[in-house]
Amino acid sequence: MSATTAAPALPGSIPGPAKDARVARQLSGRRQRTNRIVKVLCIAATVIGLAFLASILATLLWRGLGGLSLTVFTTSTLPPGSQGGLLNAIIGSLIQTALGAAIGTPIGLLVGTYLAEYSRGSALGNAVRFVSDVLLSAPSILIGLFVYQLLVAPFGGFSGIAGCIALAVIVIPIVVRTTEDMLRLIPVSLREAAVALGTPQWKVIVMICYRAAKDGIVTGILLAVARVAGETAPLLFTSLGNLNWSLSLTKPMASLPVTIYQYAGSAFEDWVQLAWVGALLITAGVLAINIIARVALRGGK
Amino acid sequence: MPHLGDAVFAGAARFAGVFVLLLLGAIIVVLAIGGLQAFRAFGPAFLISTDWDPVQMVFGAAVPVFGTLATSVLALIMAVPLSFGIAVYLTELAPAWVRRPVGTAIELLAAIPSIIYGMWGFFVIVPIMAQWIQPHVIDTFDGIPVLEDLFAGPPFGTGLFTAALILAIMIVPFIAATMRDVFETVPAVYKESAYGVGCTMWEVMRSIVIPYTRTSVVGGIMLGLGRALGETMAVTFVIGNTNRIATSLFGPGNTIASIVALEFPESQAGSLKLSALLALGFILFVISFIVLAISRLLLRPRLKG
Amino acid sequence: MSVTTEQSASFGGVQARAETAMNAPRIAIRNLDFFYGSNRALKSINLDFPDRQVTGMIGPSGCGKSTLLRVLNRMYDLYPGQRATGEVMMDGVNLIDAGIDLNSLRARIGMVFQKPTPFPMTIYENIAFGVKLHERLSRSAMDERIEWSLTRAALWGEVKDRLHSSAMGLSGGQQQRLCIARTIAVRPEVILFDEPTSALDPISTLKIEELIDELKHDFTIAIVTHNMQQAARCADQVAFFYLGEMVEVAPAAQIFTAPREKRTQEYVTGRFG
Repeated sequence: MSATTAAPALPGSIPGPAKDARVARQLSGRRQRTNRIVKVLCIAATVIGLAFLASILATLLWRGLGGLSLTVFTTSTLPPGSQGGLLNAIIGSLIQTALGAAIGTPIGLLVGTYLAEYSRGSALGNAVRFVSDVLLSAPSILIGLFVYQLLVAPFGGFSGIAGCIALAVIVIPIVVRTTEDMLRLIPVSLREAAVALGTPQWKVIVMICYRAAKDGIVTGILLAVARVAGETAPLLFTSLGNLNWSLSLTKPMASLPVTIYQYAGSAFEDWVQLAWVGALLITAGVLAINIIARVALRGGK
Repeated sequence: MPHLGDAVFAGAARFAGVFVLLLLGAIIVVLAIGGLQAFRAFGPAFLISTDWDPVQMVFGAAVPVFGTLATSVLALIMAVPLSFGIAVYLTELAPAWVRRPVGTAIELLAAIPSIIYGMWGFFVIVPIMAQWIQPHVIDTFDGIPVLEDLFAGPPFGTGLFTAALILAIMIVPFIAATMRDVFETVPAVYKESAYGVGCTMWEVMRSIVIPYTRTSVVGGIMLGLGRALGETMAVTFVIGNTNRIATSLFGPGNTIASIVALEFPESQAGSLKLSALLALGFILFVISFIVLAISRLLLRPRLKG
Repeated sequence: MSVTTEQSASFGGVQARAETAMNAPRIAIRNLDFFYGSNRALKSINLDFPDRQVTGMIGPSGCGKSTLLRVLNRMYDLYPGQRATGEVMMDGVNLIDAGIDLNSLRARIGMVFQKPTPFPMTIYENIAFGVKLHERLSRSAMDERIEWSLTRAALWGEVKDRLHSSAMGLSGGQQQRLCIARTIAVRPEVILFDEPTSALDPISTLKIEELIDELKHDFTIAIVTHNMQQAARCADQVAFFYLGEMVEVAPAAQIFTAPREKRTQEYVTGRFG
């Protein structure tokens, strides 16, 4: 890099014609125009996305609020024209969602723990992670068919418990994903500090890691609850729906989404109205859980 | 040396992992066994037959498979540009205070239950389609070859196109969120050096960000496709539910998920029809599995470090 | 080298403690080798840790001093592919034998880390956690143990009114003293300090150093540090490590003023590292 070696190139003598300011301006103008168009399109895309959300929420409020009354919460589904409510559907949904989450969460938690703490890049670990990710996005209707074949057809009847199990299968991969991600975020130093006290590994995981990852894990469980609370397709083949009051887990059980499905397609105006009320309730519930989960996670960080 | 507690807990965790593998295996096997009767009765022709006649007990998968693929691909064609625009807006254009609320709002679209999309589609989008969009489009393309056929038919509002539109809205949040996340993995120095030589935002996206994230972007799109393939309730409300291969995008049709949801209640346990539905389920599972597997393979390296 | 005198003069601020006699070894290391996979990170180490005295370990980054610390409480067992061979004798037992009960070994050899690592629980629970692993105490005995350990860690006065609030609310220096209290509450015989003040401000650092000086009446202490002044202030004997070898071990006063080895001299005078 010595300057003395014969280099005739003087500053300013770059090969090629001199820079033409007019061409540069033209090019720049075209490039800026393209850029502006793309920007406008991107903003438009976002506005369209938000408009869809707004339209859905507005429709639900507009159609649902009118039918909202105390009867909805105090009366079960009744034949058309007899002032029915959604009590059995709401209770049925609560039971199935809660039990589904209660069954699926511990399994998901253990699988997530296995992936984060024990699998260490083993072939089994990679296979489990892959399969869990596939299950996460697998069509829920197929899980319904699966549980139907496994628990409904052989035992001769639709049942609430079959619905719970179908929902549990959906819960598992959601909890697996968040549990593994959250456990992996825990610093090595915290684990080592616990190990250095002579803590057995399982106690390190249960008493230190779970605790440190609590906010994230709870968020995952909440998101799973929100997801299954609105599931319809798997319940069609498992708990079926029940227009009568029933709390028995071995009999068909009503649920809000299935009732909405039955009512929305009916020819009776009061049933369609109730379907909108149910749709409003379930969307409000699901969105509320989502927002709470996000705020909780953010607050914890 | 290994303590009892450690052994028990590690064993339970490992067992749970194996359980998940078995679960997926069981789903495949159960659907396959359930569909065996139909596969036996119709042979490979099941896949290409367009019949669906519960009276004659003749069933074929071609129409719902076509409907599933057609609506999903159409949905992707609509959803990908929209998602891309949203992801670019959220990563490059939006002021900092807007990013989180708008990002959350888009993600909330994914939280709305499928059946709500179905009702909204049926009561809001279908009338708009029937009264405004479809008649207009049909008139516009009248007389132009190919397009005339693609957008033909009575404007019922329902049909493949409407179903695809609803599907598109449903998968936008998944694709947009994945794109946003992978765009954010592009190291700032790359973008800064491109801006440094005078690139515009669009040029940086096109020549730096997209090439850098191409694999993951495709993975995100495949994830959206996987979601669209198995979507049930929303499609059932708006697709028109006809077992015929529509030549027009506005024509009615069905998908695997919608035909299963609709025909299942009218099927006897142990009947050939139920077996045919389970066989359809098996086919859907295989298609979804392939798409989701590709999506995972493409996404894993980028998002998991 | 003529520069040496100048540089050691500029190092004159260090007041190494007066020459002290070394006690009988509590832990004796003989021919210790350590491997990360096929990489030999420690080479034939021989070192004694005298009972109830402080052994300081110094050396440039990657020299193996932290690795040695993590051999003593078998921390390396967490990571596959890491292994040690040789002898680490304590009470006639080789600590790196496969059959050792790691949890009780770690109860006897406590460790304090570079960064404070409070557990996500209250101050009280942080200390009780370790104690409960190894002992069954009545409520009052536990209270007593917690007060004792916090007092020994010079933290009692600052936290006695908020024992049941989260440990995350403490300052960095307080968190580190909490970790020391947590370690001594288990009543170990040996305490390992892995650069315990590198994440702390000077005042907190001073407190921790005073604490180490105080703790050595009851505990055998090993401390890894990057800070030579700290080694000079705290340690009774200092071992210098370089590229996986232990170059020299000597009483603190000697190693900083009259090292036997040239590499030691160059390091302590700031020529490299």
